[in-house]
Amino acid sequence: MTMVLAICVAVTFGVSIYLMLGRELKGIAMGVFLLGHAANLSIIAMSGSPILHTHGAEASRAPATLEPISEHLDEQRHPLMTGVNIKQPPVLEHHEPMTDPLATIVDPLPQALILTAIVISFGVMAFLLTLLVVTSRRTHTLAIAELAQEPAPEPDGGPAQA
Amino acid sequence: MSSSILRTAMGLIFPLTLLFAVYMALKGHNQPGGGFIGGLIAAVALVMVRMSHGRDVMASVMPFHPRLLIAGGLAMAGVTGVVPLLFGHPLLTSRAPYVHLLGEAIHVPTALFFDLGVLMVVVGVAAGMIFRLGGEVDPA
Amino acid sequence: MASEWIVLFAVLAPVAFGLLTLWLPRGWIEPRMVLATAGPAIAFAMLLNTAIDNRSALQAQHDYAEAQASHNDHAHGDEHDNSHAAEDASGHHGHADSPADHHSESVHADADAPAPPTTGVLPWMPSLNINIAFLTDGLGLFFGLLVSGIGTLIMLYARGYFGRAGPTSADDLYRFYPTLGFFTTAMLGVVLADYTLLTLLFWEMTSISSFLLIGWDRYDKKAVKLAMQAFFTTGLGGMGLFGGVLVFGNATGYWRWSEMLTHSDELTAQLQHVGEHPQLLWAFVLMFIGAGTKSAQFPFHYWLPGAMAAPTPVSAFLHSATMVKAGVFLVGRLFPVFAALELFPLVIIPLGAVTMLYGGVVALQQHDLKRIFAFTTVSQLGLLMAMYGVGAIDYHGQPAIDYDVTQIANHALYKAPLFIAAGAIGHVLSRDITQLNGAFYKHPAICGTMMAAALGLAALPGTISFQAKELFLYGVYHGIEAGNVVLWIVLVMTVLTAVCNVAICVRVWTTLLGLPGGMREEHGEPDHGHHHEHAHEHGLLAHLIWLPGALIVSLQFVGGVFPKLAWSRMLGLFEQPATAHNYFASHYGGLPNLTELSIGTPLICSAIAIVLGVIVGLAKPLRGSIGDFADRIYPAMYWLSVTGGGRCFRLIQTGNLKHYLLFVLGALLLGFTWAVQVDLADNDGGMLAALSSDTAGNLFEYWPGILLGLIVCLTAVLIPMTEVRIVRVLFLGACGFAVVGLYLVYQAPDLALTQLMFEIISVILFVIVLRLLPREKLHTIKLGNKAWRLVLSCVVGGVFGWMTLIAASTDRSATNPGKYPLGKTMAQHSYGNKDGLDTAMAGADGPELRGGGGTNVVNVILVDFRGFDTLGEITVLGIAAMGVWSMMPHRRRRDGRTAKPNNTEQPGVTA
Repeated sequence: MTMVLAICVAVTFGVSIYLMLGRELKGIAMGVFLLGHAANLSIIAMSGSPILHTHGAEASRAPATLEPISEHLDEQRHPLMTGVNIKQPPVLEHHEPMTDPLATIVDPLPQALILTAIVISFGVMAFLLTLLVVTSRRTHTLAIAELAQEPAPEPDGGPAQA
Repeated sequence: MSSSILRTAMGLIFPLTLLFAVYMALKGHNQPGGGFIGGLIAAVALVMVRMSHGRDVMASVMPFHPRLLIAGGLAMAGVTGVVPLLFGHPLLTSRAPYVHLLGEAIHVPTALFFDLGVLMVVVGVAAGMIFRLGGEVDPA
Repeated sequence: MASEWIVLFAVLAPVAFGLLTLWLPRGWIEPRMVLATAGPAIAFAMLLNTAIDNRSALQAQHDYAEAQASHNDHAHGDEHDNSHAAEDASGHHGHADSPADHHSESVHADADAPAPPTTGVLPWMPSLNINIAFLTDGLGLFFGLLVSGIGTLIMLYARGYFGRAGPTSADDLYRFYPTLGFFTTAMLGVVLADYTLLTLLFWEMTSISSFLLIGWDRYDKKAVKLAMQAFFTTGLGGMGLFGGVLVFGNATGYWRWSEMLTHSDELTAQLQHVGEHPQLLWAFVLMFIGAGTKSAQFPFHYWLPGAMAAPTPVSAFLHSATMVKAGVFLVGRLFPVFAALELFPLVIIPLGAVTMLYGGVVALQQHDLKRIFAFTTVSQLGLLMAMYGVGAIDYHGQPAIDYDVTQIANHALYKAPLFIAAGAIGHVLSRDITQLNGAFYKHPAICGTMMAAALGLAALPGTISFQAKELFLYGVYHGIEAGNVVLWIVLVMTVLTAVCNVAICVRVWTTLLGLPGGMREEHGEPDHGHHHEHAHEHGLLAHLIWLPGALIVSLQFVGGVFPKLAWSRMLGLFEQPATAHNYFASHYGGLPNLTELSIGTPLICSAIAIVLGVIVGLAKPLRGSIGDFADRIYPAMYWLSVTGGGRCFRLIQTGNLKHYLLFVLGALLLGFTWAVQVDLADNDGGMLAALSSDTAGNLFEYWPGILLGLIVCLTAVLIPMTEVRIVRVLFLGACGFAVVGLYLVYQAPDLALTQLMFEIISVILFVIVLRLLPREKLHTIKLGNKAWRLVLSCVVGGVFGWMTLIAASTDRSATNPGKYPLGKTMAQHSYGNKDGLDTAMAGADGPELRGGGGTNVVNVILVDFRGFDTLGEITVLGIAAMGVWSMMPHRRRRDGRTAKPNNTEQPGVTA
C-alpha cells in the first residue's frame, strides 16, 4: 500500500511542479492546490500501511499485544477491502487505556496533522484565489512574463544630504 | 443552476445540513467528526444556498457580518484555553465532567467548547470568502 | 535599601505626568507645563530621598563596624539596630562572599566592602531573567538626579522655547511634554535598572524617544532623515549591547549589575586570564559597541551633530547632558569589573582620545552655535571615555577612578546652559555666530548665561570644570609617572583639545561683546537662519528663557570656588564606594582648592592650553570650514545596507517564480541525496525492504487502494494536458475525491470527511472565481521550455516519491524507543483512565494518566493535545479571511436597502 501511495505522491508532486513552472497564475494556483494533496498523501504514508500482515516480514515486527486481535478479526474487514485484515480507524472502542493501541488502530497523529493542513489549505486557497482576482483586476493579465515587467516600488528613506 | 426544484429542496436541505453540521461537531470527541468537519459542512450548506438561490441571498441567510462569527469563535476557543490558567492548570487543559441533564449523565468535555469555537471560525471564514469571492453585498 | 516601589514610581513619574497632560485641554498651556514639570521634579525629590537614605545607612554601617572594632564587649543598641536594618534592606548579597580588598590604605575600604544597594525584586519575567529591581548605587543615583534635575529645568525651558509658529509653537507642547517625559523615564530606567536586560529595554526606549525628538518637525524631510540616522546608529549599538548582555549572562550566569559588582573579584580573576574565558571578552567588546555608539565615539559620532535638528530643549537635554552620557554610564558600570581586562584601556583610551581631539578641532570650524557645542560635546564624551581608560591603568595597585562623577557633572553643568542659551539667542537673533557680533548689548541675560557657561567649557579657574580637567590631567600624568610613556600622547592630545575649547570660549566672548577679535559676517552672504521668519513671543516666560541655564551654570561657579563644599555636599556622595582608597580623595579631599594645587606638569599643561587657546581664538586663519568627513559614513552605511543589499538580494530575489522554484527544488535535491545516503547506510536495503514487505501480501486483495491511486495519478496527469480551464478544475476536483477515497483506505474517516467538504467548497469557489478572471491567451510555448519543465517535474516527483517511501518505511521506534510513535502515547491517553478525567485531573495519579476524555483520538489530538496549535490555526484562518475581505473589492449595496434575492436579474453561477 505504501508503494501505491508513493507513486501517487510522485505523480501529484510532479504534476504540481509542472503546473507551477508554467507561465500563468491560474495554473500555478492549481499547482499549489495539488501540492497540498501530494504533501498530505506523503504524510499519511507515515502512519504506515493499515493492512495487518499475519505472515511475512510485517508480522515478525509486530509486537506481542494484549489486545485480542484475533477475536475481532471478523469486524476488522474493510468495507472495500474485504480480503485483508486491516487496522481500525483511530476511534477507541472502550475506555481502558491500552498498552499498545497502535496494534489495532492506525496511527492517529499523521491524521491530525493532515486535518490541520487541509483546513489551512482552505484558507490558503481562498487567499490565493483572491490574489488572482485582485491581480487580474489591477493588471488585466495573469501571465507571469507580463507581470514581471511591472516596475518594482523604490525604497524610501535614504540618508540625509547634509 | 437556479432550478426551482433545487430551490424548493434547499428550504429543507439547508436547515437539515446545518443541523447535521452541529451534530457532527458535537459527536466529534468520540466519533468521527469535530469542529473542522462541522464547520466545513455548514460552509457547504451555505455554498449550496448560494448555488441554488443565486447572488444576494447570503445577506438574508446570514444577516450578520461573518467576522462576528470569526471573532466569536476565536474568543470562545481562546477563553476555553485561558480559563484553566485561572485554576492554576496549564493553558488549554481540558476536563470532562459529567453533566446531569434530564436524568441522563452526559459526558461534556470542556474541549467541546473549544471545538465549537473552531466550528464558528470555520463557518465565519468560509462564509466571508463566499461573500467576497461570490460578489455578495456586504451584510449589515 | 530603598523600596523598589519608590524607585519604580520615581522612574515612571515623568512619563506618567507627561501622559496626564494629554487630558488637559489644548489651550491650557501653563497648567500643562506645571503638570509636566511635576514628573521629573517628583522623581528628583524621591531619588534625592533615596540617596540620603543610602548615605545614612552606609554611615550607620560604617559606624557600627568601627564601634564593633573598638568596643567589642559593649552593645550599642541604636547603631546595632540601624545597621541591621540597613543590612536586611540591602538584600541578601552577603558580605561574606566579597572578600576585603587586597589593597587597604584606608580604614573603611577593607572593613566592610558594602554590597551594592539594591532594591527588592518585583518579578516580571523570571524565566527570561528580566525582573524589576533597581540598583541605587552612587553612579546610578547621580545619573538619576542629573537626569531628573536637568529634566525639570528643561521642561520649564521648553515652555519659553515653544512660542513660535511652526513645529515649535506653544500648541505643540501638548505632544512635546509626553515625549520628553517618555525619554526622562527611559533614561532614569537605564541608569537605575539592576537587571541587565531591563537596562537594555530602557536603553532602546531612549533611542526611540531620541528618534522621535530629533525628527520633531515631521514635515522637514531632512530632520526625519537625521532622526533615522541617529536611530540607525544607536540602534546598531543597542544590538551590540543586547548581544553583550546575553553573552555575559550566559557565560557567567549573572543577569544583574549588582551581581556583577558583588562578584567582581571572581570576575576580575577570570578577566585577567581572559584567554580562557573568551566569552567575557566578547561580552565586553559587544557592550562597548553599544556604549561607543550611544556616546558618539569616533567614528560613530556623526549622528550627534546631526541630532541638532531637534528643538533646542532636546539638544540641551538629550544630546548634551543625559542620553549621550548613557554610553559613558555603561562604561562606568562596567568599570569596576572590566577594568581588569587588559584590553580595556587599550581600546578606550585611543578611541576616547581621538574622539576628544577630533571633536575639538571640528568644533572650531563650525559657525552654527548648536553645531559648535555639539562637536564640543563629542569631544567631551571622548574625554570621559578616555578618563575611564586612564583610570583602568594599573598604577595604584588597583583600577580606580574617583573623579568620574565630577567630570560628568561638570560637563552637564556647562553644556546644558550653553545649549539653552544658544536656543534662546537663536530665537531672538540667530544661531550663526558670525551674526551675533555685539549681541550682548541687546540681550544681556541670554548672552551672559552663554558666556558664563563658555567659561566652564574653557575650564578656566573658578569653574568646577577647571578642577575636573585638572584631575584628568593628574590622572594621565600619574600614569606617565608610573611608566606608561605612551600616555604622553594622550596628555598632548588633552592639551590640544583644551586649546580648542578655550579658543571657542574666546570666540564666544569676543563676538558677543563685539570686541575686535570677534567673529563677523565675512562671507558677505549670511546664512539664512530661521530668525527672519518667526515672530517672537512676548511675555514673562519668554523673557525668562535663560533662567534655567543660569541656574544650572551657577553651580559651576559654586563648585569652582568652593570645591570642598561641592565635594562633601554633592559630588563626593556619588563616587563609587569601591574606590574609597583612591588617590585624589585622600590627597585633596575629593576636589582640590585652587590654592592647594602645586606647580607641576598638570598645572603647566592647563596654563599652556589657556594661553594657546586665547591665541587660537583670536587668530583669523583658523576659522575655515573644514567639514566633518565622518558625515559620509552614514550615507555609505545606508547605501551598503539598502541599495547594495538590495542589489545582492536581487540576485536571489529575481521576482520570477521559476527561479524561486529552482532554488527550492535544488535544495530539495541536495537534501535528498543526503537522505539517500543516510538511508542506505542505516537500514540496509532501505526502501527496498519496504517494497518487499509491502508486496508480500496478495496484491489483488487491496485493489481499492490501487484503483484509487490510479485515479489520482490519472486525473493529476490530465490537468496540465487540457487547455479548457473548467475541465481542468473538474479534474482537480476528481483528483481530490480520489484522495478522499485513499484516506478511507487508510482508515481515516475524519480526514475523508474534511477533504470531501473541502473539495466541494473549493471546486465551487474555483468555478466562481474563474468567471472573474480573464481568459488566458493561447501562448505559443516553445518545445524546449516544455521539455525542461517536464524533466524537472519528473525528477522532483520521483525524488519526492522516493522520500515518501524512505520516510514511511523507516522504523524510528528502534532509534527512539521511548518517544516513537508519538501517536501511541496519544492513543493511550486519548480517553484517560476508566472513570474519565475527573480523578485524573485531580492530580493524584500524576500527569501520565491525564487524558482528553474522548475516544476519537484524532479529534482529541486536535482540540486537546495539540490544542494550542489549533488555536493558532484558526487564528491564521481568521487572518486569511480578513485578507480576503480587505483585498477583494466589494459590491456596494444600492441605496442602503437590504439586498434581497432577485433571481431574474442575477442569474447566479452560470459558469
